[in-house]
Formats: sequence, C-alpha cells, structure tokens
Amino acid sequence: MGVRVECVCGSGVWRPVRRVPDRTPSSLVKCPCSPPVSTPWIFPPQKYNADYDLSARQGADTLAFMSLLEEKLLPVLVHTFWIDTKNYVEVTRKWYAEAMPFPLNFFLPGRMQRQGLQPSRVVLARIEAKEDATLLGGPASLDAFVFSYLALLLQAKLPSGKLQAHLRGLHNLCAYCTHILSLYFPWDGAEVPPPRQTPAGPETEEEPYRRRNQILSVLAGLAAMVGYALLSGIVSIQRATPARAPGTRALGMAEEDEEE
Amino acid sequence: MSLVAEAFVSQIAGKVPFIHVGNQVVSELGPIVQFVKAKGHSLSDGLGEVQKAEMKAYMELVNNMLLTAELYLQWCDEATVGEITHARYGSPYPWPLNHILAYQKQWEVKRKMKAIGWGKKTLDQVLEDVDQCCQALSQRLGTQPYFFNKQPTELDALVFGHLYTILTTQLTNDELSEKVKNYSNLLAFCRRIEQHYFEDRGKGRLS
Repeated sequence: MGVRVECVCGSGVWRPVRRVPDRTPSSLVKCPCSPPVSTPWIFPPQKYNADYDLSARQGADTLAFMSLLEEKLLPVLVHTFWIDTKNYVEVTRKWYAEAMPFPLNFFLPGRMQRQGLQPSRVVLARIEAKEDATLLGGPASLDAFVFSYLALLLQAKLPSGKLQAHLRGLHNLCAYCTHILSLYFPWDGAEVPPPRQTPAGPETEEEPYRRRNQILSVLAGLAAMVGYALLSGIVSIQRATPARAPGTRALGMAEEDEEE
Repeated sequence: MSLVAEAFVSQIAGKVPFIHVGNQVVSELGPIVQFVKAKGHSLSDGLGEVQKAEMKAYMELVNNMLLTAELYLQWCDEATVGEITHARYGSPYPWPLNHILAYQKQWEVKRKMKAIGWGKKTLDQVLEDVDQCCQALSQRLGTQPYFFNKQPTELDALVFGHLYTILTTQLTNDELSEKVKNYSNLLAFCRRIEQHYFEDRGKGRLS
C-alpha cells in the first residue's frame, strides 16, 4: 500500500504525513519543518535510502550539492519565511498556528522565529540563489533536498517575494518543481482541498477528536461554573430533614434572586 | 617576515588565508580569487558552466565539513584547547591580552558552532563527518592528477590547503589526520602539489 511516514519537527511536535505511494523514495515526503532536514540520515540505509542506486561518484556529488544548498539557500529560506516581517506575519505564523494544537499555537511560532534569528545573524552573509539542480537518473535524495527548498519558495503565496520573482525567471527550475509535484503530490496540483477528494482519510480521524475536544471543553466550563457557584455561596447544598428541605431550597432560590 | 609582523598583518586582514600585495591586504579565499581574477588570471577559465557549478559545490562541501571540523577540534575539544590552542593563539600578545583574546575567540567559535547545529556533536560524530567528506573528495578525485583532470583549479588549492594543514599539524590526538591518511589518492594528491609547487622550500613535510 505505502509507507506511513512520520516526521519530527524541530519543535518536538509530531506531524503525521499522508500515506505515500509505494514507489516514492521515502525521502520525498512533505514536512512543514524549517529548515528542511537531511532526509538520508533519518532512515536506516538498508531499506529506505533513496540513493541506493547511485554510484559512489554520484553520491559524492550529492553530498557536495547538498552542502552548497545548505550554505546558500538555507539562509535565504530562513530570511524569507521567518525574518521578513510581512511574510512571517501573513504566511508562516498562520501555517504553524493551524498545524499545532491549542495552546502551542500561541507561543511556538514566536519561539521558532527567535531561534531562526540567531543563526541568520551568524551565518547569513549574502542572499543569492543558485541554479544547481540536476535530476540524476531517477529521483534521489538530492532531488528531495533541492525540491524541499524550491517548492517552499515557489509555491508559498508570499506578500514580499523578490526572491520568488527571481526564481520564477529560472524556467528549468520551475519546470523541475512542477514535474516532481505532479509525480508525487498530484492532489496539491489542483486548488481543491484533499479531504473532499479522499473518501476516508485524515478528516474522519480528526472528527471524533474534534467532537471529543468540544465536549470536554463544555464539561470543563460547566464544572468551573458550578465550582465557583458552590464556593462563593450562590448555591449551597444543605443537609436538612426532608420536611424542611423544600423550605431550604426556597431560601436558597430567594438568595439567588436577591443577588441577581 | 617576522612572526610579530605577520600577526599584525593578519589582525588587519582578520582571517586567513591572506595575501599582502604592495600596500593591499586581501583575506579569505573568495576575495583573493576575485582579486587575482581582476588582475587577469584565473585557474578555472577552462571549465564549462556545469563543471564550475560542481567546483563551487565541492568547495562549499570542504568549507562546510573540513573547516568546521578543524574549528571544532581546535576550540571545542577541551584537551586540544588547553594544551595547544590557547597557547598558540595568545602567543603574539603580552599578558593578560593573550588569555582574554583566546577566551573571546573560543566563545565566538562555540557560538558559531551552536548556531550551525554542531554545538551538540561529539568528537566521534565530527570525525565521521570528516570521513564522509574525505570519501566524497576521494571519489571525485579518483585516479586523476587534479580534480578537473589535468589543470589545477581553486578547488585543488582549497583541498590542498586544508588537507596539508590537517596532515602536518601536531595535535593532542591524531585521529583527524588518520582519517585523511585512509585515502591514499588524497595523500598522493597532497604530495604531488607539494613537490610541484613548494619544492624550492626544501624537503617536503609530507614525505
């Protein structure tokens, strides 16, 4: 059927990823982490290594190009998505807030931004994009690496996208991105959101959780109200004889009426 | 040039390597290459666009892995720092400047390591990264005399500079140079360049 891949984000939040089709190199999975993680070192080399078919020389080239991308494109990415105020407020923070459960969505994006600021002060020297992508035979880990940078930069609707405009001018890179997108992420090509297309899937799994969360929050609210009422004396429970009980209850109600 | 004068010039330059041409001081490989190119000489003129991109990628690999590993070993390994680095770094300066500057540099390097994610790495992980880098370089070099066959390029200069330093610098542990020595073609590459370009300085330190 496929491999169910889970991805660990830098903040420690687990984000389950959709089932990927069988022939997808397992490194080509979408992860909202920033920065893109070096995927070949996550999976054990025996089974899930996307570079199994590459020669030693090609493996060496892969390592070299990954270093180049990390050195040049990573600061660009961090700057575009986290440092640039307009982009951060309108796009990045919204994405992460939607993906994270309450109450993490309030303070985790801010913390990640502060963490992003530190490396960029030390490492960020010049902003320049390189056109070094090559598809070495079948898709390999280098393609996953390059794609993870380029797709983010090209697909995100950024309000201030100077780099995006520059990248869009490089037609071979755009074609490369759309090619991989259409091959491995066909549902993202259209604008229709995935839950409407897949009959079963993540939406029904989320439904009981959402329902349960709603019920739990209502119960918690009720318990808080009742607890407050009991503690402050608006409603009091008195152990009295059954004959006097209605009278007491009437007194209790009268007190409530007076206070209101 | 005496040691003190060199230290003074290197302070102006800020970083190594640097060249002193007339009354100009140019430091770091990138600016040096640009400077030489502006004078009309370039080692990588004969390369195509794809090869130039490959060359840049490999240079970044060397900077990313080898340079960082060297910095790590010098400044983040307590044994090396105590025995060699502090004394060597502070040697041109009088007391107490030698201690202050050495600690300041160490703090700066540790901060940089933390920023790029190397702060939590152990020495073994760093050595493994160096091994991977050397393996990649060895694969790329193969049996050729230089990385881009017959003519040396900036990549050859950079790789030689790093490997030669690693092989000839005495540290408290020799693990780093042992990692490089595992790859015979890299060793032969270094010897070849040393004999070809530096033989007028007397007996080579590698042979």
